[in-house]
Amino acid sequence: MVEPHRRAAGASQAAPGFPGVSVAVDAMSGERAPDDVVRGAAELSLSSGSIELLLVGDARAITERLSRLPHNPERIDVRPAADALDGAVALVASGEAAAVVTAGEVDALVRSCRERLRLLPGVTAPALGAVYPTALRRGTKGDPFCLILDVGATLAPAAEELVRFAELGTLYARAVSHNPRPRVAILAPGGRAERAPPEIAEAAARLAEVAGVDFLGALDPTEIPKGEADVVVCGGFVGASVLSLLDGASGLVVDLARYGQKQRLLWRLGLAMLSGGVGQLKRVTDWKQYGGAPLLGFEKLVLRAHPGSGALAIQNACRVAAKVLSADLSAGLSAPGAPKRESA
Amino acid sequence: MTDERLESAADVDQRVLAPALRWTRAFRWDLDKTYLETEFDTFGNLLRTALQRASQKRSVAGAPALMREIRAAGPHRVCIVSGSPRQMRRVLEEKLRLDGVEWDEFALKPSLSNLIRGRFRAIRDQVGYKLPLLLDGRSRVPPDCEEYLFGDDAEADAFIYSLFSDLLAGRVGAATLEQILDACEVYRDQKEQTLALARAATRGDVVRRIFIHLERRSPPVRFSPYGRRMVPVYNYFQAALVLFADGVLPAPSVLKVAAEMVSSYGYGLHSLSNSFQDILRRGYAEVGVLTGLADAVEQYASLFDVFRPAKDILEAFTRRLGALADSRPAPPPPPATIDYLALLDDTRRR
Repeated sequence: MVEPHRRAAGASQAAPGFPGVSVAVDAMSGERAPDDVVRGAAELSLSSGSIELLLVGDARAITERLSRLPHNPERIDVRPAADALDGAVALVASGEAAAVVTAGEVDALVRSCRERLRLLPGVTAPALGAVYPTALRRGTKGDPFCLILDVGATLAPAAEELVRFAELGTLYARAVSHNPRPRVAILAPGGRAERAPPEIAEAAARLAEVAGVDFLGALDPTEIPKGEADVVVCGGFVGASVLSLLDGASGLVVDLARYGQKQRLLWRLGLAMLSGGVGQLKRVTDWKQYGGAPLLGFEKLVLRAHPGSGALAIQNACRVAAKVLSADLSAGLSAPGAPKRESA
Repeated sequence: MTDERLESAADVDQRVLAPALRWTRAFRWDLDKTYLETEFDTFGNLLRTALQRASQKRSVAGAPALMREIRAAGPHRVCIVSGSPRQMRRVLEEKLRLDGVEWDEFALKPSLSNLIRGRFRAIRDQVGYKLPLLLDGRSRVPPDCEEYLFGDDAEADAFIYSLFSDLLAGRVGAATLEQILDACEVYRDQKEQTLALARAATRGDVVRRIFIHLERRSPPVRFSPYGRRMVPVYNYFQAALVLFADGVLPAPSVLKVAAEMVSSYGYGLHSLSNSFQDILRRGYAEVGVLTGLADAVEQYASLFDVFRPAKDILEAFTRRLGALADSRPAPPPPPATIDYLALLDDTRRR
C-alpha cells in the first residue's frame, strides 16, 4: 500500500567499523548553527564511511535536530559542552578526535588552541588561513582557490614566523589542492618587498633561500584575484584587512549588477545571457565547496569554516580535515636554523 | 470465515504446537528489510531477490543473534509474518536454519493466488494481509502474553503494528477499524475477516514494544506520532539494549548480539558505542544500563578479547555515555491518542 522509498541519498555501503578519522565539530558556532551544522554532519554520516563525527555542544539541541534528519548514528558521537568551541578543541587535545571543525570566532579559536594545543616543532606562532577564489585553476583537481595566511591569528609576525607560514602554506596546499609545487608570494604594496616593513623584506630574502618553497617574490594585493600565487603570506592584521577589502569588492560587483539590471532593459538582457556562465563561475568559486580554512602551526589539525557556513560547507570542511590528516604537515617542515638553500 | 481467511491460516506454518499457556512473550518479525537485507525497489532487485539461494541471502546485522537470544531467554514464541510470496518458503526457511534461528509460526503472503484471482490490490496491500494474521496469532497465546513486534521503515509496519496494539488495548473501536480498512481499500472478505478477528480478540494492553528497523535511515521523528512504545532502531544492538533495559533479555545476550555484529558484519567499537549513546540520548534506556552490561563484559571477557580487551570496550562505552549524565532526555510523554486515518494518509504519501 505504500510507495517504496529510495535509500537515503548517497547512503554509504561502507563497513560500519570505519577505521577512519574522528573529527570534532563545534555544533553551536556560526550564523546558522546548530541547524545547518547538525544537518551537514547528518548528511556526511550517510555518505562517508571513513569519518566519525564528534558533535560538540548542547546535547539535547543536537539530538532533537538529529531526530528530524536522515543520519547514521553509528558514525556520530554527541559530546555535551557549555563552550562548544573549546570543548571541540579539548577533544583534539586529548586525542579523542584528530581534527577540529568550527565556524566560531577567530579570537576564541586561537585562544583555545593556544591554551590546549602544542605548536609544531620550530613554529612559534600560528597562522590562520583563508581561501580566496581566483581566475586560475591549480593542482590535479583544478582548485580555483588560493590560500592567504595569516588572516588574523598573529597580527604582527616576525620574519622567521612569516617564513614558517610559507612552509606551512606550501605543505597544506600540496595536501588539499594536490598541487605538487604551490607558488608562494609575500604580500607587499606594489609588489616590492623593499618598500614593505623590515620583517617583510627580511622574510622575502629568507624565503628565496628556503628549500621546498617555490617563492615568486612580493605580490601586490591586486594580483591575488588573478591567481598569480597559490599561497600568499602576510601578517594577520594585513591579511584580515586585505580579505575584508576583497570581500567588499566582490559585494560591490554584485550590487553594480543589480543596479544595472534595474536601470536598462538592454543591460538586463545582457545579464540574463551571462547568467548561466556566472552561475557556473559561482559554483566553481563558491567557498562552500571548499568548506574551511586551516589554523596552521599546531600539532593538531584545526579548520575554521566561514561563519555563514551551511550544511554543505560543514560537510566539505570535515572532508578537507580527513584529507589533510592523511598528509603529515609537520614532516615537511624544515628544522629551524638548518641550511635551507636548495641544491641545484 | 472467508476463503482468504482459510488460505492465510492454512499457510501459517506452526512448527511447535505447544500448549498455549506456555508462552509469556510473543515476538513477531517481519522478514524483508527487517531480518533480511532485501532490495526490491527495482524490478532487477526484485528478480535477484527471488532467485537468490538461501546461502546468498544476507541477514541484517545482529538480527540472527537477537532472534536466537530472544528464543533462548524464556518461553518466548517467535512468529514470522512476512510479505514475501509463499513460493519462497523453502529458501527462507533454509536461510533461517543456516542462521540457527528457530521459529514457531511462519506466515507468507499468497501473492500468486492473489494474482491468479485478479486481486491485484492485495498483492501490494499489507494492512489487509498482516493485520488479520497478527490478530489471529493472539488465539495461539495466553491472553496476558506480551507482544514485541519487529518491522522496518520501508512499508507500513509501524502503522499496522500500532493499530494491532491499540485494537487489543481497546483504544481503537470497530467503527474506526472499519473506516481504516475502507480507506486501505482492502477486499470485502479481508475486511470481514479482520473485523471478526478484532471482535474475538481478548482485550489487553499487551504490546510492550514495536521495533522499527530504520533500513532507509528515516528520521526517527517520523515515528513519534505512534508514541514511546515504538522504538526506531538503526541496528539490532540498539534493540537488544532496549530489551535488556526492559528486563526481557539478560546482559550476556546483548553482548552476544554485539559480538555477532563485530565478527560477521564489520562493526567496531566506535559504531557500537555510538549506537549505545544514540539510544540513550533518545531516551529509550538509562545510563544505568551500562552497569548491568559491565558485569557481563567482565564475566564474558573471553568473548570480546577476540576483538580487543574487554576493558577497552567498557572504557569506550563509559566515555561516550558518562558525558551524557547531565543531558538526560525528558521523561516520555503520556500515551498519545493516535489518529490512524491521518497517519494512513501520511504513510501512503511516503
